Amino acid sequence: MHHTSETPRRPSVLHIFKIYYPDLFGGTLTVIRDICASLKDAFASAVLVCSRSAAPRDIVVNGVQVERVRSFGNLLSLPAAPTYPWRLWRKIAEHDLLALHAPFPLAELVFAFGFGRNRPLVVHWHADIVTHAGLRWFIEPLMRRTLRRAKAIIVSDHVLVDNTPSLREFEDKCHVVPFGIDTSGYDWPKIEPHHVNDRGRLVLACGRLVPYKGFDVLIRAAAAHSFEVWIIGEGAERSRLQQLILDLGLGDRVRLLGSVNDCERIKLMCLADVFVMPSVTNAETFGLAQLEAMAAGRPVVNTALDTAVPRVARHGMEAITVPPGDAEKLGEAIDTLIRDPERRRCMGLSARTRALTRYSATAFRQGMEAVYRDAVAAPSEERSAIAEPPQATGWLDTVRIAAALAWSDMRHRYVRSLLGPFWMSLQMAIVVAVLGSVIGQMSNANMLARLPMLALSMTAWTFLNSVVLDATTALQNSASLIRDRALPPVIFLLQCTFRQALFALHNACVPLALWLILSPHDLSHALAALPGLLLFVACTFALSLVLGAMATRYRDLKPIIESTLMLAFLASPIIWSSDMINHRSTVMRLNPLTHLFAVWREPLAGGHIDPTSIVYVLVALALLIVASVLTLVHLRKAAFWI
Amino acid sequence: MVSISLRNICLDYPLYGAYDFSLKRRLLGHIIREPGEMRIIRAVDNVTIEAEAGARIGLAGPNGSGKSTLLRLIAGVYPPSSGSIAVQGNVVPLLGLNAGVNLDFVAEDNIALLLRISGRKPTRSVIDDIWAFTELEARMQRLPLRMFSSGMLMRVLFATATAFPADILLLDEWLSVVDEHFAEKAQERLLNLVSQAAIVIIASHDQPLLRRTCTSIINLDHGRIASTVTVEPPATHTFELCEKRA
Repeated sequence: MHHTSETPRRPSVLHIFKIYYPDLFGGTLTVIRDICASLKDAFASAVLVCSRSAAPRDIVVNGVQVERVRSFGNLLSLPAAPTYPWRLWRKIAEHDLLALHAPFPLAELVFAFGFGRNRPLVVHWHADIVTHAGLRWFIEPLMRRTLRRAKAIIVSDHVLVDNTPSLREFEDKCHVVPFGIDTSGYDWPKIEPHHVNDRGRLVLACGRLVPYKGFDVLIRAAAAHSFEVWIIGEGAERSRLQQLILDLGLGDRVRLLGSVNDCERIKLMCLADVFVMPSVTNAETFGLAQLEAMAAGRPVVNTALDTAVPRVARHGMEAITVPPGDAEKLGEAIDTLIRDPERRRCMGLSARTRALTRYSATAFRQGMEAVYRDAVAAPSEERSAIAEPPQATGWLDTVRIAAALAWSDMRHRYVRSLLGPFWMSLQMAIVVAVLGSVIGQMSNANMLARLPMLALSMTAWTFLNSVVLDATTALQNSASLIRDRALPPVIFLLQCTFRQALFALHNACVPLALWLILSPHDLSHALAALPGLLLFVACTFALSLVLGAMATRYRDLKPIIESTLMLAFLASPIIWSSDMINHRSTVMRLNPLTHLFAVWREPLAGGHIDPTSIVYVLVALALLIVASVLTLVHLRKAAFWI
Repeated sequence: MVSISLRNICLDYPLYGAYDFSLKRRLLGHIIREPGEMRIIRAVDNVTIEAEAGARIGLAGPNGSGKSTLLRLIAGVYPPSSGSIAVQGNVVPLLGLNAGVNLDFVAEDNIALLLRISGRKPTRSVIDDIWAFTELEARMQRLPLRMFSSGMLMRVLFATATAFPADILLLDEWLSVVDEHFAEKAQERLLNLVSQAAIVIIASHDQPLLRRTCTSIINLDHGRIASTVTVEPPATHTFELCEKRA
């Protein structure tokens, strides 16, 4: 613990966002920083974000612990930080409350899949997804699931709830806490604006240089008028804006100031004549910068978005509101204010009054604190402690019980008949003999030499096929053990793999006999095939785990799985081999089973494995493992399904 | 240290209808915007139970009041929808005797398998002890369970299930065991098991039985705790036994 001095431990809050100081400055970050600072007596804050800089991962900003996960650039406005979900999942357990600053799909992914369910979650709704609207179909379900499990949703104005469909659904959870601003820093009685800037035509704008801020509109508006524009902020659009300024020949009147520290910014706010918020999309939900300008007593020109922007500074009272993206109207509105100092003074006064009364830092702090406290304290709804499953059946026990059950299944076969599973091997021998002769007729290759491989492939296929088919009914067949003996459901899926492995060992006597009779015996090849076989078994188990659980939840999947397996059998080189048909057809190359068989068949035949096969199988295994982990999380609910 | 702590536990039990098991229907429902109304029953509603070593808790209530569900929740079968649950100690749920029986196997093998399922090593002497308790002929050990009468089967299963002591014992319905002579013996063994366990939770309709064995009785109604009754020790024989051991 970092803070040992306080006697009653403060609940700790983890703020989850994509980026933080010192990598960037901006409105959302100001909000997070203000929350951390103003609640520091009641809550211990920590921040988990992404960063492109390779610099130290853990830093302290304004006394707040910040962990920065390495990101490799931006992809569709999102940091490409593959390890972020993993870090988030690890950090969740260390904190009492999670504060997600939405939208941030990378984190929503974690919550949507049900991780971190044991900690209360508060969502700060900063904006809807506006850019990359094409990705909505993917992002929206994640967002809905995240919102559904949130304890509370904080928005800055009620209009956001009314205009955002995804929020309307959870209206009862939404709390309106308007951003607040500490106005004490804005008292600059000594600098009367006209003393510094008598010309009365300085227009200021402030924000990250990103498309939705609409600074290009402002620059184009400046072209038709004579006022001077200073833009505070940094961002990806800088070069484009700079080019636009040069193209319009405004180099002497329009300046991009870049990042400016807080003190300097306040000073600039105080000397500007008009503050402009030219944002063009609903991504601008509040406009914290215009609130700062209001605190500095500046009149505002803003845009008529469907968000809180035109409600913070209202048209005709503290601001002139123009249609978003309309350079002409924007220019006219600014010009109106520039030409009318008396109106500027009135508007500025009422702006300052509104900032002081309606958007005070105290109200903001109290509102936040109330929501956080409720989330942490309240009758800990949604706080089921999954961390400790009541019956701590370890992994070893699980495997041991599954093995005992599988062993008893195998003995059961011997109880009913003397030959036991060898009956199946006999059947297998017949299938191999018949198939061998048929295929021998079709191709003129030496079929006898192929027979051992054919038999082995059939054995392997039978294993995979039966494991998956068994898994689809395993949980239902063991319902009483799951419900009455409280055994973890995963045992019974593992049992399928063990049982079929035992049967496969019986079946393996057919290829073994053929191999001993028909092939030159080379043990080193068999050893080389072992890693591939292990991969094959691992993939089979993971596949059965996922499909078994899904087929239990959705009963109509079983026939689909059966027919798919049949199709896969025909479409994969099991009874035929790739050199028999048109060399490497597309279907065959895309079929993961081709590669899953290749990784152990090639070395067994004395050949080399194609590297693409290895990559293919490893990728498939990785995906299956991810799916298995998700399945294991959901398998806790299996008792409801059976 | 053996303890059970349930805080504000709720369990929303989803009732899956025929349609709810269909993936096709679920996907279609998404497309045609028909919200799949899943029926949910609050099977356990805001239940808080704290039990330390020595507690004998009876769960009473009409059918469907959530007794069995609560036991399964403690056993870890169902994950709670909300609230926190912490159980320390080895839990032995005796909720149904038939679980994991294979009628084709001989009795001996079944006993061995059942012991393995509960994490015990089936040695010869353990199986012989269990068999001695059933009072069945030794040669029947080698017969498949299929050939046993239901009463005999019960004896074998009961003897196996109660062979080992547990930290936490969860009993659903005082196990009904047929055959008058054996019933008496079974009762005795069960009471002995109860007295050895640190915490016992029994769900039953049999009020006199609960009064005899438990230190407190929780009356459940629609998943809520309707009332909690502390049983005044009537100083019966069995109860003294409990106190000495605990």
